[in-house]
Amino acid sequence: MTNRWIVLMVVLPMLTGALSVPVVRRLRLSRVIGIVGMSATFTASLLLLAQATTASDGRGALVSQMGQWAAPMGITLVLDTFSGMLLVAAAFVMLCGYLASFGELNPVLERRYFHPLLHFMHAGVNLSFLTGDLFNLFVAFEIMLMASYGLVCLAAGRERLVHAYKYVVLNLVASALFVTSAGLVYGMFGTLNLADLMQIVNTKVESGEPLPDAFVAVSVLLLTVFGLKAAVFPLFFWLPDAYPTLPTPLLAIFGGVLTKVGIYVLARTFPPIFMVGEAGEVVGPMLLFAAVCTMLLAGVMAVAYRKLRGGLCMMVLVGVGFSIAGVAVGGNVGLAGVAFYASQSMIAAALAFVLCGKLEAHTGNDNLDDKNYGGLWREVPWLAVFGFVAFLTLVGLPPLSGFYGKLWIIQAALGGDAQADANAWVGYAALLTGAITLLAVLRWWTSAFWLGEEHGRTSRDDTEAGSHCLSASLGLLLAASLALGLFAQPALTLAKTAGDRLSSPNGYIEAVLNPIDHETPKLKQAKPAKDAAPYEADTKSSGGHHR
Amino acid sequence: MIFVLAICVAVTFGVSAYLLLGRELKGVAMGVFLLGHAANMAILAASGSPKLDGGPNMKRAPVSDEAFDAALRDGTVADPLALMVDPVPQALILTAIVIGFAVMGFLLSLLVVTSRNVGTLTLDELAKVHDDQPDEDIDALSRKVWSRRRRKETDIHESGVSP
Repeated sequence: MTNRWIVLMVVLPMLTGALSVPVVRRLRLSRVIGIVGMSATFTASLLLLAQATTASDGRGALVSQMGQWAAPMGITLVLDTFSGMLLVAAAFVMLCGYLASFGELNPVLERRYFHPLLHFMHAGVNLSFLTGDLFNLFVAFEIMLMASYGLVCLAAGRERLVHAYKYVVLNLVASALFVTSAGLVYGMFGTLNLADLMQIVNTKVESGEPLPDAFVAVSVLLLTVFGLKAAVFPLFFWLPDAYPTLPTPLLAIFGGVLTKVGIYVLARTFPPIFMVGEAGEVVGPMLLFAAVCTMLLAGVMAVAYRKLRGGLCMMVLVGVGFSIAGVAVGGNVGLAGVAFYASQSMIAAALAFVLCGKLEAHTGNDNLDDKNYGGLWREVPWLAVFGFVAFLTLVGLPPLSGFYGKLWIIQAALGGDAQADANAWVGYAALLTGAITLLAVLRWWTSAFWLGEEHGRTSRDDTEAGSHCLSASLGLLLAASLALGLFAQPALTLAKTAGDRLSSPNGYIEAVLNPIDHETPKLKQAKPAKDAAPYEADTKSSGGHHR
Repeated sequence: MIFVLAICVAVTFGVSAYLLLGRELKGVAMGVFLLGHAANMAILAASGSPKLDGGPNMKRAPVSDEAFDAALRDGTVADPLALMVDPVPQALILTAIVIGFAVMGFLLSLLVVTSRNVGTLTLDELAKVHDDQPDEDIDALSRKVWSRRRRKETDIHESGVSP
């Protein structure tokens, strides 16, 4: 279904960012602009997700052709249930992380273009969730990364500058490889549009025609690129180096959102395009192996970490491992699991990092062996309860939100038929990782809150400015996370739809390549009729022009 | 032509990989820039030959021309890409060059900031910064300064109220 409004998801953050550039020295004003802009983006994402899911044409995707150039030629933006879920979760996490930053970041840092950079990064993230072609995806990645380089190096100390290098250089190498492989894909298929690629590849496989020679090589190259963005096993070493030096609100946003972009792209492009035919025989086992190693290694390292930030980064990596396992196993159940797990783990990871920030505000550091830790339940009983809930959400214990996605992924892995052997191993590894991570978070929780003597010291002044914002952000994230766990049915239904549509992308292909132009978008219908008339005339004339 | 271009791409990729593996950050930065150029040439190579099939003549430029457009509309030219150079890879390269330019600027300024703050650009020296000063975290430092300033403000406030 054609819907011009999905471009709002990119325009709103861009506009907010542009507006906050001239007022960057005036903190209160730029905060107000930011909160208004981010709330608007969040609301728009919710409305668009609702519209994409209930779209009347049964294709389940909202499509917008930039400048009305028809699909394989022009720039296409597509919003279906999967991207919609991630957009909503990302907008929510961005909003909460932004709110948390008001108290945590120091004003000097905020004045150094923190606000515009964050909004531009949001625009890049949203564009990568929306874009319908491979090259535009590269541009979206670059917008996102450019802003994130700025945020990583913002007022960086010596240590962070050193770690920022790894992040920047590795991502630049990945970008260069991405451009190369995008060019090679164009050379092979003559198109970069994802829907067009899905169609071409699947027709070739169905008719028994051989795929181009270098297809497997390009698939592996793209797997490297997206694996690096998602922080998958052999390529994840930059994350635990670069992330823990960030201030906690930024850590919540980076840890929550950025790795999920890589996962989204893997889940979007690999099952229908780059894992088809021979490429699947090469890429499939690689993904399975990477998923198992990511989960297990990160889980074991999480047990070893005594610094909370580093440990939580490891938990983010465990989440990446689970999502990749879902992509590798595939099928509608596995991909539904990915959709649910990726969206909820954004919120869960952000919740854990914001909680870590709150904890640091009380104790002054994140080292669990420090004398300020231990027995904190006497001083901050509610924080202890929240911490328990947040940590168990990260692990995914049953009543909490992490559980359902994992359940589906493990079900898909264990209940497979054809490649049951390799998939079953992923399932067992996932179960084992669950146990290991449970051990890790319980170790953190007991040494922070439970064991240890009473300190008899007063906690740091709680009325310190911004602390309320941090608490508000913590409350919002906790409420969202609990709601996702306890009233999971609507989100699960959405994830089910997303999984079905991801595993059989015919609706997506149809919606992009054969748009039905005469349909008026719902948002338009709500407006008076005199507005709708020129719109219809407009689309008709343009349709005629292109054919 | 394609062969020559392929060799160029291979050599550029090789040199950039060598530079990226160096222990000097300036060299690493140069490696990143060369990698971008290699990628652009790879796209150019992937966009097909600029020569017409079975002859030494070059394909026409992808620029609008009334006669050619008319032939396209009539259907006399069935496959325009056999006669015309494909414009899309060139558009991709142009975009990639612009983005690469921005990235180059950023990376060079990061080099300058690092060499000013840390005083070295060799990786071995940079690795020591982490080990020697684990606690020199500017966030903790600035948070301390900031909360002290806050406290001072509240003190002033309270002392103003109490008498």
